Amino acid sequence: MTTLAWTPFIDPIDANAVWYLLLIPIALGIALAFKAVRVGDMKKYPKHVAMMTAQIITGIVLLAIASFVVIDTLIPLLTPMPAP
Amino acid sequence: MASGSTEGLNPVAALAAAAVPGAGYLVLKRPARALGAFAGIMLLFAGGLFIGGIDAVDSKEDKIWFYGQALVGPIALGIDYAHQNHFKAHDPDSNELRSGYPNETIATDAQGNRVWRELSDEEIAQGMGPPNKKGVGRMNEIGQLSCTLAGMMNLIVFLDALLPTVWTRREDGGNA
Repeated sequence: MTTLAWTPFIDPIDANAVWYLLLIPIALGIALAFKAVRVGDMKKYPKHVAMMTAQIITGIVLLAIASFVVIDTLIPLLTPMPAP
Repeated sequence: MASGSTEGLNPVAALAAAAVPGAGYLVLKRPARALGAFAGIMLLFAGGLFIGGIDAVDSKEDKIWFYGQALVGPIALGIDYAHQNHFKAHDPDSNELRSGYPNETIATDAQGNRVWRELSDEEIAQGMGPPNKKGVGRMNEIGQLSCTLAGMMNLIVFLDALLPTVWTRREDGGNA
């Protein structure tokens, strides 16, 4: 019998309220794989992984802020919409 | 060419890299690099499966995403095979192979094909349902994206194992 209970790796998680936090493991995974290719001295690997993870997260947060400003502030200023 | 050669083309390392993420570096005798690449790619791929469920890897319903995910190698192909053959069944009306609705379970018809059967209220109350929940919305998108990023990172790692002298490694780790 199959049941409706949640099964890890089979059913999706219910993290819709905190979806933006899922950026952290994705950024860490990208940094781990990329720096394994890129770093010359592997003794510096953990430091570079931490730095790249922070850079990705900061970059995405800045892009989110920029998108918010454009959509919520600039576009209404440039193309005012009639009141509903 | 010796299997551990870091000059020119290295097809042995490329074969190992295609089979298991990061294994090309083991052939090149760079175990720390192999471990880092494997950890990163598997964090992305297993993380994507954890977030989006097995529905994040679907060669039939999300074909374009799967082209990127398949770059992870046999692991992605195996997950997709299991998804298509153990978690999907045929629609009893259209015969289309699809995921189940929350009020369905897999049954076998007279010809031995896997088909979806609608559950009774009593069966639903007992907790019966399809073998997996269909991923929708953000969890499905993020799961698919994470698995696809794993494939793209594995392509970089594969090319580095195949052509170890093309990339220029930097002592400072390069710009991120």
